[in-house]
Amino acid sequence: MTLNLCVLTPNRIIWDSEVKEIILSTNSGQIGVLPNHAPIATAVDIGLLRIRLNDQWLTVALMGGFARIGNNEITILGNDAEMSTDIDPQEAQQALEIAEANLSRAEGKRQVIEANLALRRARTRVEAANAISY
Amino acid sequence: MSSSSSSAGAAAAAAMLASSADSLSSRSLLLPSRLPFQQQQQQQQHSPGLLVRRGAGSAAVRCGLRELRERIDSVKNTQKITEAMKLVAAAKVRRAQEAVVSGRPFSETLVEVLYNINEQLQSEDVDVPLTRVRPVRKVALVVVTGDRGLCGGFNNYIIKKAESRMGELSALGIAYTLISVGKKGNSYFQRRPYIPVDRFLEVGSLPTARDDVFALFVSEEVDKVELLYTKFVSLVKADPVIHTLLPLSPKGEICDINGVCVDAAEDELFRLTTREGRLTVERETVRTPTPAFSPILQFEQDPVQILDALLPLYLNSQILRALQESLASELAARMSAMSNASDNAVELRRSLSIVYNRERQAKITGEILEIVAGANALT
Repeated sequence: MTLNLCVLTPNRIIWDSEVKEIILSTNSGQIGVLPNHAPIATAVDIGLLRIRLNDQWLTVALMGGFARIGNNEITILGNDAEMSTDIDPQEAQQALEIAEANLSRAEGKRQVIEANLALRRARTRVEAANAISY
Repeated sequence: MSSSSSSAGAAAAAAMLASSADSLSSRSLLLPSRLPFQQQQQQQQHSPGLLVRRGAGSAAVRCGLRELRERIDSVKNTQKITEAMKLVAAAKVRRAQEAVVSGRPFSETLVEVLYNINEQLQSEDVDVPLTRVRPVRKVALVVVTGDRGLCGGFNNYIIKKAESRMGELSALGIAYTLISVGKKGNSYFQRRPYIPVDRFLEVGSLPTARDDVFALFVSEEVDKVELLYTKFVSLVKADPVIHTLLPLSPKGEICDINGVCVDAAEDELFRLTTREGRLTVERETVRTPTPAFSPILQFEQDPVQILDALLPLYLNSQILRALQESLASELAARMSAMSNASDNAVELRRSLSIVYNRERQAKITGEILEIVAGANALT
């Protein structure tokens, strides 16, 4: 059986083709999906999405969203997503440092919420950029 | 044209020509280096001149041959620019259309999933922060304008709309704050410090806009978020509209707030089952087919958590759509404004050429008269 993965963001389609296996960071921890998975719907956290194509692993930085798995079709709706190959590691590292500085300066409930979200996004991008594809 | 009137006109023109040629030559002799500058000034003065001249008829053009030539050249240049801008805008409208189309798979799937989950969750009592309806004390208005001018009344209309909305809110005794998106709106509100503006954003900063709106609402700083943008109806029609962004209504129903009517008459609430069509001259509304989920579908988390993940996505796509529509309207407005400007330039050039030819004719007639008169005097 083949497994189809479709990663959608409001702007564009990030991924739409056949895969062997994926590892998805959901709100209740990471799950691996192989063909013939039971149909589930899950919220997706800000984190890495790992895709296996034959023997190659690819990494996508996924900024939260929603996933629906069923009938060997995976649909992931993301706020934003970036392939690890499209991320510049140095730029991501700088963005992370800026985000950390912003969080330490944040005052009030609202700024803390914003800064925390930004920090998590920046951290995910750095992780994705540094992930080795094996 | 009869011969008598043309000869009278020629005489008058010849007299005028003599005086204007005098002044022109003396000026250019005295200040030869300033000529390019004068030319520039003339170009800038053209637009008001255009109105006056058109009101008074073509006879109101009173200047020498050289000035006329310069004016014709400058009108020609302006026409080239406006035509180029029109073409660029047309090409960009196409691109904006493509952006909407490429965002379609996302919104279609999202609507499908939301619809299904709502069906399944209808029986349960779900409480999600983004759908919580609170008594409205403060409203955030997200005003979407353009980044550039030269697009007719596009920016003015939406700013007027925002002003009138602010007036309504203060009449109801409700506080408000603004999030301004777009350079034109930013500079307008920066000049008016008495308007409370929470943040100035650029067009194309979707993540920032979303985070801002999200944080404002969740931290209970504001109790309602309204989106003011220009809805793209067709290439020649665009309406400024007010849209309630938050609280989201999970079932697409109208939320009434404590009997206080904060919603404007043209306020559109979300209807999750319908979705805007792509940007064509006619606006089509497509009802996304909503096939039922397989009944054995399991929720990995609580339904609340799933909705918590889905509704921000929905918010995202709503804001994105508003920005895209606003951009498309701006480009369409620029296209028609530039097309009008080109038409005006063509007309102006035509009437200026007529005046120019007439004066040239008059000058030749005058010279012939002089020669003939001189020959007559000799004999």
